[in-house]
Amino acid sequence: MSRPSAISGSVGRLRKQTTLVTPFGLLVVLLVLSGVRGPHLFTSDGLAGAIAAASPLIIATVALTVIALAGPAGVDLSIGPLMTFINISIVLGLTKVGLTGPVEVFACAIGIGIVIQIGMGALIAGLRLSTVIVTLAGYLILAGMSTVLLPQPGGIAPDWMSSWAAGVTIFSPALYVLVGSLVLWALLSRTTFFRNIRLMGGNNRTAFVSGVRLFPTLVGAHVIAGIFAGIAAVMYTGLISSADPTAGISFTLSAVTALVLGGASLAGGRASAVGSVLGAIDIWLISYVLATYNFGLNASYMVQLTTGVVLVLALLVGGLLASFSVSRRRRLARLGGEQ
Amino acid sequence: MRGLDLGAMRSTATQNAGAFIGALLLIVLVVVGAFTIDGFWSVINLRSMLLFASFLGIAAIGQTLCALVGGLDLSIPFVIGAANIGALRVMNGGVPSGVAVVSILFLAALVGVVNGAVSYRQQGQALVVTLGVGTAVLGLVQILVSRQGTAGIAGGTIQGEVPGWLQGLVSLRSSLGVAPSVFLWAGLSVLTILLLRRTWLGRGIFALGGNRIAAKRSMMPELGIWVLVFGVSAVTAAVTGILLLGFSGGGYADVGQPYLFTTLAAVVIGGTSLVGGRGSYALTIIGALILTVLQSILAGFSLSAAGQEAFLGAVIIPMVALYARGQHPRMLI
Repeated sequence: MSRPSAISGSVGRLRKQTTLVTPFGLLVVLLVLSGVRGPHLFTSDGLAGAIAAASPLIIATVALTVIALAGPAGVDLSIGPLMTFINISIVLGLTKVGLTGPVEVFACAIGIGIVIQIGMGALIAGLRLSTVIVTLAGYLILAGMSTVLLPQPGGIAPDWMSSWAAGVTIFSPALYVLVGSLVLWALLSRTTFFRNIRLMGGNNRTAFVSGVRLFPTLVGAHVIAGIFAGIAAVMYTGLISSADPTAGISFTLSAVTALVLGGASLAGGRASAVGSVLGAIDIWLISYVLATYNFGLNASYMVQLTTGVVLVLALLVGGLLASFSVSRRRRLARLGGEQ
Repeated sequence: MRGLDLGAMRSTATQNAGAFIGALLLIVLVVVGAFTIDGFWSVINLRSMLLFASFLGIAAIGQTLCALVGGLDLSIPFVIGAANIGALRVMNGGVPSGVAVVSILFLAALVGVVNGAVSYRQQGQALVVTLGVGTAVLGLVQILVSRQGTAGIAGGTIQGEVPGWLQGLVSLRSSLGVAPSVFLWAGLSVLTILLLRRTWLGRGIFALGGNRIAAKRSMMPELGIWVLVFGVSAVTAAVTGILLLGFSGGGYADVGQPYLFTTLAAVVIGGTSLVGGRGSYALTIIGALILTVLQSILAGFSLSAAGQEAFLGAVIIPMVALYARGQHPRMLI
């Protein structure tokens, strides 16, 4: 019994490296393709626009990463509707009461994100319900409320937001917010609390026996997700400069695809922000490259088709790489035994 | 690992408790509906509730089987939509409607085979595998449908001629009393329950979901079972998609969207474990009926579609919390 567990321990370490191969390889391919199809991306203008356009997805995928880490089967399907709900709250609610400054907007957006995520986290951890069911219920509630509040896309975001996300120069507020979020993640991921999340996701029995308190740890993971969801929603609001109740499902789909592309395992305990960021950039680049072709009315179906195929292929390639490293590891272990 | 006899006893006990609470919940909801909503007890409303329950119940057959082996099929809404618009386009392409239905079901089975094979390889990732396959399939079918068509596809809707027999299958004014699709559902339910309880394959499905290693040691063909359950799931989803075509009289790519949540909810409310090995289809039937009655009540309170959606999400949690809870890790040490 001791041998397989020793192997799986080292495989875990190895896998962490191999998972980045898929998103990184895809990134290189997509960058070459974009260079051929749409070289505008590599101008100062193009890059500035790309940063503004991709940052909501990148930050949302980071939000999903912490929930995936906390596992098991930790996939937050409510991320898209949560973002549209915050989006609508900013555009309809905050402008009505006159709170439109950057500080107020960020505070409210992050606050809403945290409150809703705490609610879902408490249900998952307290009642021990499956994450999929709770977040799907959250999805329905948030999407339903968004549509009740605002049946059609509309409204106007505060002025400063659209200029933030206009993407005129590379060093725009959009970039600062993106970098700030990643720095925040880097700081958080060095805490003991974060290690407990990882431990709980890997094996909650071991974590429990080692004295990790499961309820606060899971709820805490959701708080972190709520912070990033709030930031992502502000960036998204800036990007579209209005409110849109219909964008939820496709956003969930893109973010989950990016998460899996980045090598996160839904079994829990294994996910990296670097992978998620690469995955999100990949997803954005796929739609960028596809947009350079003239698919006319089929454009959105093409994006659907490609995203789905890429998701499945990424899983398969990731699985193959992992099994290669397992067999290599076994061979090495056998050789070591013979010596 | 798991105390065998104790575990078996516990699972029967929770299952009986689940069936009891579920049946009680259903009766309470029916009584509430009958007392608060005018016309709830009318023949036409009962018929339409059974009809809607048959759409959900058929699609939930697949979801139940997938949950029993420990996977989830999130491709169901996409397959429903793809079958819905695909069938209409094929029928209007001059193919006899019977042939069209059979070929759509066959194609759906292929989708399910891919779902099952990839999900088997990527243990624990069935959720994203099926999400990916589902989106890809719906995207592809929408491209094919809009390429071929004279009418084209606008906002996911296509117009066309739906054959009379298909409309008759889901007609509320059928001479049989209820729509024939309800009988179809009843027949498929009996088959599913017999498959699970009385056949070697059914025991294999439970064994695989309960303990993979034990199932492997007793020579269960793991890959075969995964492919089979996901294949069945895609076919039952396609059946629902085709029935919905008869009901609405036109194709709509997003017609399956509500079924993402409701099939899962029907399975969970029925008390089938989402991690596999425990549950039954008979319980899912109760779950499907509960959800349908609930939706009818919400519609009776004249909530908008969006309001119903939000409310449904909110009431599912306490219902699931009644008996579909996981165990604390301290019980598993």
